[in-house]
Amino acid sequence: MSQAFRRRWSATFGISVLVGAVVIAVAGPWLAPHAPDEQFEDRAYAPPTRIHVFDSAGLHAPFVHPLVLVDRLARTYREDTSVRIPLVWLRHGLVSTTDPAQPLLLFGADPLGRDVFSRLLFGARLSLGVTFLGVLGALVIGAAIGALAGSAGGWTDGGLMLIADFLLALPGAYLVLVLRSALRQVLETWEVFALVALLFALAGWPHAARGVRAIIASERSREYAEAARAAGAGSWRVARQLLPAARGFLAVELILLIPALLVAEATISYLGLGFADVSGSWGVMLKDAENGRVVVDAPWMLAPAAAIFIIVLATQLVARARMAAGEIRW
Amino acid sequence: MKSAIGRFVAWRLCVAAAFVIAVAASAFLLVRLAPGDATTDLAMSRATPSAIEAARHRLGLDQSALAQLAQWVGGIARLDLGQSSRFGRPVAGLVGESVMNTAVLAVVALLIALAGIPLGILTGSRQHSLFARVIGALSLALVCCPPIIGTLALLFFGAATGWLSIAPGHLVLPALALALPLAAMLERLQSQAAAEALHAPDILAAAARGVPNGRLVWLHAGRHALRSVLGVAGIVMATLFSGSIVVETMAAWPGIGQLMLKALMSRDLYLVAGCAMAGAALLAVGNLLADLLRAALDPRVVRVS
Amino acid sequence: MSRKIEPRLAREWTSSPDGLTWIFKLQDGVTFSDGVPLTSADVVFTFRALFDPKLESALGSSLLIGGHPIQARALDAQTVSVIFPAAYAPGITLLDAVPILPEHKLRGALEAGTFRDAWSVTTPLNEIVGLGPFVIEEYIAGQRLVFARNPRFWRRDADGHTLPYLDRIELQFTPDQNTESLRLQAGQADLITDRVRFEDLAAFQDLERRKQITLHDAGVSVAPDMLWINLRPGAAAERPWLQREELRHAIAQAVNRATIVNTVFLGQAEEVAGPITSGHGEWFLPDLKAEAFDPAQAASLLASIGLKDRNGDGVLDDANGRTAAFTILTTKGNSVRERTAAVIQAQLGNVGLKVDVVPFDPGALIDQFNGGTYDAILFSVEYDSFDPARNPDFWLSSGPFHVWHIQQPKPATTWEASIDDLMRRQSSTIDSNQRHELFAEAQRQLARHAPVLCFAAPHVVIATSARVGGVTASVLNPPVLWNAESLYLMAGSSGAGR
Repeated sequence: MSQAFRRRWSATFGISVLVGAVVIAVAGPWLAPHAPDEQFEDRAYAPPTRIHVFDSAGLHAPFVHPLVLVDRLARTYREDTSVRIPLVWLRHGLVSTTDPAQPLLLFGADPLGRDVFSRLLFGARLSLGVTFLGVLGALVIGAAIGALAGSAGGWTDGGLMLIADFLLALPGAYLVLVLRSALRQVLETWEVFALVALLFALAGWPHAARGVRAIIASERSREYAEAARAAGAGSWRVARQLLPAARGFLAVELILLIPALLVAEATISYLGLGFADVSGSWGVMLKDAENGRVVVDAPWMLAPAAAIFIIVLATQLVARARMAAGEIRW
Repeated sequence: MKSAIGRFVAWRLCVAAAFVIAVAASAFLLVRLAPGDATTDLAMSRATPSAIEAARHRLGLDQSALAQLAQWVGGIARLDLGQSSRFGRPVAGLVGESVMNTAVLAVVALLIALAGIPLGILTGSRQHSLFARVIGALSLALVCCPPIIGTLALLFFGAATGWLSIAPGHLVLPALALALPLAAMLERLQSQAAAEALHAPDILAAAARGVPNGRLVWLHAGRHALRSVLGVAGIVMATLFSGSIVVETMAAWPGIGQLMLKALMSRDLYLVAGCAMAGAALLAVGNLLADLLRAALDPRVVRVS
Repeated sequence: MSRKIEPRLAREWTSSPDGLTWIFKLQDGVTFSDGVPLTSADVVFTFRALFDPKLESALGSSLLIGGHPIQARALDAQTVSVIFPAAYAPGITLLDAVPILPEHKLRGALEAGTFRDAWSVTTPLNEIVGLGPFVIEEYIAGQRLVFARNPRFWRRDADGHTLPYLDRIELQFTPDQNTESLRLQAGQADLITDRVRFEDLAAFQDLERRKQITLHDAGVSVAPDMLWINLRPGAAAERPWLQREELRHAIAQAVNRATIVNTVFLGQAEEVAGPITSGHGEWFLPDLKAEAFDPAQAASLLASIGLKDRNGDGVLDDANGRTAAFTILTTKGNSVRERTAAVIQAQLGNVGLKVDVVPFDPGALIDQFNGGTYDAILFSVEYDSFDPARNPDFWLSSGPFHVWHIQQPKPATTWEASIDDLMRRQSSTIDSNQRHELFAEAQRQLARHAPVLCFAAPHVVIATSARVGGVTASVLNPPVLWNAESLYLMAGSSGAGR
């Protein structure tokens, strides 16, 4: 197997994961069997529901057994194998049980008896959505400022890049934390969403601006730019003409910013400065996973961590393939 | 040459000092201008309005933000960073202890991370071996474990196996959480560099003359290793400090990140500014050291700056 | 554990028939930790300092009876007379938490007006003297507080051994519950101040079986979490329904207490009807039942105050067509409280009330509370005594912890006036049966108008390392260290207590 083939394969894999994630984020509410804040009685830390096709009576269509609480304090459960509950497709979400009292918990339940799988799907919306919006904002602001600085040169250039360097030198997590903690604490979910995306854009733009500026500055000396300037175009017009040269760079920057901001969302929500508990972003869900001893008995609480890992991995694979194709270097 | 290096260092020190002050001042202003202040805690202890007023006066909160900032900047010259309202102690002492803890954590993490370099040379020189593929896959996985994910995974691992202490105040867990993704990044970089080195014309020529391949790689890569590491020193430093806030909070390591979070939560103005200042200073010192090392290896750096 | 008051510094006491004058005889041979003997002058000095109006002492104001201070006079070097300004039922239990101050160290500061700052973090530690079993050896703010035994402590145990048994106690400040509990499990700590979290309890019971730790059941909590709605006039001008009594009863009926007991406390709690739980012992009213879980009844109560789903979106709307929504504030980092809030939120959602839950830092929460800028809060009020008369801050409408509407100049409602009256009467009634009846009536009135809603009171379980002996866990704070002098380390273990 040649290296080029492996690279291509892993890039394809990475892109499919990312596309899949977007589909899940968009379609999540229709795929999830339960509401993200629905609490099931006596299901605290319940294990993932096992789907069977066999029992002593032979082969059946996929079914589950009802779950019986054995010890509430130790959170142990057992299956009542004398009863079969068949599964239905596409009635409540993708798949669900026919008995509302016996929820289908594909990834188990959290401390409040909420379905981790459904929360993960709904959370994808918030976590990926805010990441995407933040990245987009960062790229737009970064490209605009970078293009302006690169084409204007002189004091404008120096001043803008000084600000960018200053922001770049700050550890991003601190920047977002200070900004977020300076704002009102009681916010609607959509307000948090917009605010966090804005903070991400503000923290992320210097990365894009630096690169765009370098590309534009080198393009500026080329003939067509000289011609445009000679024709009396202002620096904005020149910048707009030069911007397409930075397209490849911006594509890679997009791929590199996604994991950074996804993790930033998880971090600030984990630290209690992001989304509220009911909304169930991935960072909020991770809060329930901090008690190591409890998580040993309920490893499904780490599902959002796994989801973040997979997305980061996918972006890495894509980025590596693009780097190997010569588009950027570290 | 000597004076060039001297001027370079002096210039960089000035830039670093300006950076540190700018960071601290922006943190100061942001927290000062945000709603709520440190006296909100006082209300809890059934303090009377006059006592709260006195506290506001003592904390300087009855002045304008800019006047207070000016006073604070003036205090820096006397190494007076003000008084923490939450701990009732001078900020300088609090920050000093935490900075040491964070520095210890960062240095240990960095040392662990450096293990990625020899590993990278090994995998780069034997690109198609099973060993290189396993390490490569592992590195790829670890690169994708940012501190928050890494810490949770290690907490889980420690609790499940008992091989790693998850008790608070132990250095190993937070250091590993910070170090592993960095080690993986260095391994990947070094592996790529070593592989490319094998195809460099001088190496090919030397190999043609019968110099053993292994020795060549180690010599060549060794020379280049430091430079490539220093090239990403900025990324490494930023990762260490961005990661420290969440790692320190989760693993209960009493460093500057944890202190900063506490300070932010209780709107402890001077402490936030002090932490920001200390964090920026650590960052600046780290970057300066890296630049100096780089300058020692490659004098062009000095001239370009 | 006994709930009777025991003689400590006062060897014996007598009271006048009207309960107003008490004569105390001090123990002989008691000295402060610097060796200066305790005399009645120190007691008189302490009361002077507590009630000095310039000092605004929080402890002093909690000792006022009907707004008036207690008078103390020295009859001779070992005898003090204490005169209450009015009849006061709890009697001298009021004084059980008063630390006697050393006049020889603090008199100058009190007279110079610098008393408040006399003992601060910068004071040399040997200047800080007291009568307790331990003296401060080291203090680093935010990190640790170390106590060393007071060699001059006057008490002895039944066998005549000097107390305390321990040489040192080191208190370490930890950032959160999780860290604390991990420290105990790792053997880095012998005591933790927090109660054991219910999700850790099964694991802790395992550790107890393996003789690594000991669990102590202190009984049912006396400070259950309370949900209250801001009833200050004008706090919800846009949403008059928020302050209606029907809403509170609807909430009480819409929330299934059993779910909170089972989900949040994993079964380790009792359903409660009000703030006085079975942990309060003699003051508890077993026949006062919580409102039964009845979502249908809750819905019709809500409809009676104009809350109906007018646009078919599944959420109730008020008369103006606005969604019926309110926000519950609670404290951040307390998993029990955050989960209780989440359960309440979900169950109110089932009857169509839209509830937002916002966890705040305690400081920010208190800020909102005092400013009155909130809809509802889920929090608890800690008690330092079982006796309700000792908690007027909560019960009286003028009190700062009359949480739903603090510090009223005069009672805003007739039922609050009636509770005020009952509480004042029971506070000054000496006859115990009469007092209990009066307080029972106050509890019933509170339940009838439901300004605070309590759902469940957990069992308080305290964990110590297995080598700590002499523990008598209490539901009052501090749960273990209140009898620090009786703690000891089991034979075969070494080292200082942490």
